[in-house]
Amino acid sequence: MMTADKEKRRAISREAARRRRRVESEVFEDLSRLLPLQQSVRDHLDKPSVIRLTLSYIRMHTLLTGKTGTKAEASHKVKCGQVTDDQMVRHEFNGGCGEEEEKERYDADASEETNMYLRILEGFLMVLSTEGDMIYLSENVSKYMGLTQAELMGHNIFEFSHPCDHEELRNNLRVTAEEVWSGEKRDFVMRIKSALTHRGRSANLKSATWKVLHCQGRSKVCVAPSSVSCLLLTCQSLPLSHTLLSTQTFTSQHSMDMRFTYCDQRMTMLLGYSTEELLGRSIYDLCHTRDTNCLTKNHFNLCFKSQSVSGRYRMLVRGGGYVWVESHSAVIPNARSSKFRPGTNQPLCILCVTYVLSGVEEPSLQLSLDQTVHI
Amino acid sequence: MEERLSMDCKMEDDLSRSEEEDQQVKIKCFREPHRQIEKRRRDKMNNLIDELSAMIPACQPMAQKPDKLTVLRKAVQHLKALKVGTSSAFADSTNKPSILPQDDLRQLLLRAADGFMLVVSCDRAKILFISESVAKILNFSLLELTGQSLFDFIHPKDINKVKEQLSSWEYPKEPMIDAATGLQVQTDAPVRPTHLSSGAWRSFFFRMKHSRVAGKQEEKHQLPCAAKKKDTSRYCTLHCTGYMRSCPCSQLDSEGDAETPSLSCLVMLCRPLPHGSPQPPKDINAKPSAFVTRCAIDGKFTFVEQQATTVIGYLPQEVLGTSCYEYFHQDDLQHLAEKHRQVLRSKEKIETLCYKFKTKYGSYVSLQSQWFSFTNPWTKEVEFIVSSNRVMSRGPGHIKDEKSGRLKAMQEETKQIPIIPSLSNGVGTMIYAGSIGTQIANELLDSYSRVNSSPSSGASSPFGSTNEKCPLVSPPISTSASSGGGAASSSSQSDSRTAAGASCATADSSGQVSQLELDGMVVPALSSFSSDEAAMAVIMSLLETEVNVGQPGDYEDLHWPF
Repeated sequence: MMTADKEKRRAISREAARRRRRVESEVFEDLSRLLPLQQSVRDHLDKPSVIRLTLSYIRMHTLLTGKTGTKAEASHKVKCGQVTDDQMVRHEFNGGCGEEEEKERYDADASEETNMYLRILEGFLMVLSTEGDMIYLSENVSKYMGLTQAELMGHNIFEFSHPCDHEELRNNLRVTAEEVWSGEKRDFVMRIKSALTHRGRSANLKSATWKVLHCQGRSKVCVAPSSVSCLLLTCQSLPLSHTLLSTQTFTSQHSMDMRFTYCDQRMTMLLGYSTEELLGRSIYDLCHTRDTNCLTKNHFNLCFKSQSVSGRYRMLVRGGGYVWVESHSAVIPNARSSKFRPGTNQPLCILCVTYVLSGVEEPSLQLSLDQTVHI
Repeated sequence: MEERLSMDCKMEDDLSRSEEEDQQVKIKCFREPHRQIEKRRRDKMNNLIDELSAMIPACQPMAQKPDKLTVLRKAVQHLKALKVGTSSAFADSTNKPSILPQDDLRQLLLRAADGFMLVVSCDRAKILFISESVAKILNFSLLELTGQSLFDFIHPKDINKVKEQLSSWEYPKEPMIDAATGLQVQTDAPVRPTHLSSGAWRSFFFRMKHSRVAGKQEEKHQLPCAAKKKDTSRYCTLHCTGYMRSCPCSQLDSEGDAETPSLSCLVMLCRPLPHGSPQPPKDINAKPSAFVTRCAIDGKFTFVEQQATTVIGYLPQEVLGTSCYEYFHQDDLQHLAEKHRQVLRSKEKIETLCYKFKTKYGSYVSLQSQWFSFTNPWTKEVEFIVSSNRVMSRGPGHIKDEKSGRLKAMQEETKQIPIIPSLSNGVGTMIYAGSIGTQIANELLDSYSRVNSSPSSGASSPFGSTNEKCPLVSPPISTSASSGGGAASSSSQSDSRTAAGASCATADSSGQVSQLELDGMVVPALSSFSSDEAAMAVIMSLLETEVNVGQPGDYEDLHWPF
């Protein structure tokens, strides 16, 4: 008798639970249908993902439609009549279509232009909250991480980045009130999980490798309706493609401590040092002391992340003065080394491609010992 | 809909049934982790629901925390409300739906990249298209730029460089590095025609004019000396990357040649470099009484900024290679030697007290410096010291010191063993100043030789190369002093050695540990370099090759939007 009652009660509660779950599923359905996603993507979303994507949508909407975050942006828009200019240009090309068509055309144009940017950039766009949530990722993120936009958006960057880079990441996410108003810039290198194989196919996240990304961007904030501040970042996969080395570019090789082991003829032409003069010399000796920090950061990136983009620094010219340069570098196995034995850890070296950005400045100035020493 | 729901229920039932089964099947010790997994799942869901309710205005003012279902329902209402009034491409069924309207994405991208898009014709560098974001970067409006020749806006010295990038150049292919041997490969092969074809990649830097008309506010910050020059244009260094494209002439260029139905052009994204344009040092130098120097670890100057000349009288080349100790006043030697020792063993910036520095004219100037030793990230050894120096006051600083003259005379003749300053009071002792620095450096090098008994793999022997940089012999003036210094009065040497040893103890152990850490950590990103192929791919992408010329096909099917 007791058991039958108990059974009955259990059955009722199970039915109630089923009803609740049904209602809940309905609401989740409604929610996912409102999300601007392709049907194929929508069908595969689990419940947490639906919420994640809903959050992203709301946050991005807030970010983009809220009051402008930076004073510079606001005043600039007024100054240049920015939006008007752009519409004017498009109107010229469109030849004045009807409004509906024009809007469509405008959107299609924007889409093509955006795709063009993303390809040229060789990267994807990431919007990060101050806690590290990846609020938004452009669709092409799948080409770099092997996971789709829907799979990644809303998750936290710390789940996907190399643990040794977490501190640097945290520092970069920390935006003070003042910095956020001025659209503070960010520039750093980080390692991220990639489920892509060498041949570019998507594999399991469990067998993920580390991919090096160069992240650049700025902070953005909007004040109303709610205060949202975040980082807008372009993430480029390193190493970047390079063009034919032109007359204003040279390559050099270094041991891991950044001493020269090789430099090409162009370096001699542009900077005046012969290869013999440079072998064994540290790059730090050749550069302006005020740029030591820039070079150190670059060196650190190479030691720990294997790739780096240096940003601008000054290289001293042999006869006097200096040039502004930027170096793109990577750590590679040193195939030349006589110590190389198969099966052991390969000795490594650093390969640098350096672009000369300026002419020789202050050619009469001799600032360093290397500029004055005569062989 | 019905089917769908019943399927869901079935799934739920299956799940709960399988849970029960699981629980029955598993022994007690396995139930814990399972419950934990379930708990984690529930917690995660609850966190998400909380986040969601925080983002929805309707959920904010509620007294009690709303339940899951309510939050979800409010979310649905909120999304519906957001859709009203948006001009996005969502409503349009033909366009591919995306979380972000394309226009917004474009704006965000340009904002993040802080750049603008530029399309120029290859033959005459005519600006065919430029995005509106250029206004923010260069202060020019679209009207001022569109249709103009790019060359009118480029730094004169960069014109040839840009011409080169826009055209197919005839010079022989640049030497490449053979990845297998690491040696230069000479090739006389002519330039491949693919360089001008669609899809060919370009990446280069050039300086572009910055309009001064719109930015009236910025002019206040410019120093008056800049305005006096004839060519007062300011330039912004841009990094341009992009692809070659051929586009139908009629769409873009009304002056199109009948003979050339299509125009070759370069589509680029231009980004200014982070710190703005390079300006001559005169603009930056707000404080002429401050300057930066760099010394080797023994105190010999290896780099001296030109601003130093106004303070110390010497030109950089006159002091380069000499020891800073030669310019320190006798009274400051002890304190500065101590700071020297300190900075070589510290990762912090060390502040000196005020000290006197001998100028070219024999008088002294009062300086105060901040010293910082640079440690090579790979070898973890100190390689040089950077000094930021500022003048304290000019008044009492310029003392004509009779003692110093006498001291110098004594220095020239001395053949005596150098004495550690801490053991002397300066009067009556023969000090060869430069060797103080050398001695302090030797202490450091000795500590390194104890740590690095064998060079680590991949690095060239750090001790050997540091040796060459900082010769143990003193400057050539008195060679016997150097041999004397080398042999050294054993008492003072051993004193210094134990002192150095004691202070180095922590450095030793930490130095050792971090070197090991470094070996283990250094190539996490190269785990994918298990094959030579992958390594080759990195090398090849750093230098141009056939492999990376780009896929022309990708571009041809893009609808030309302009």
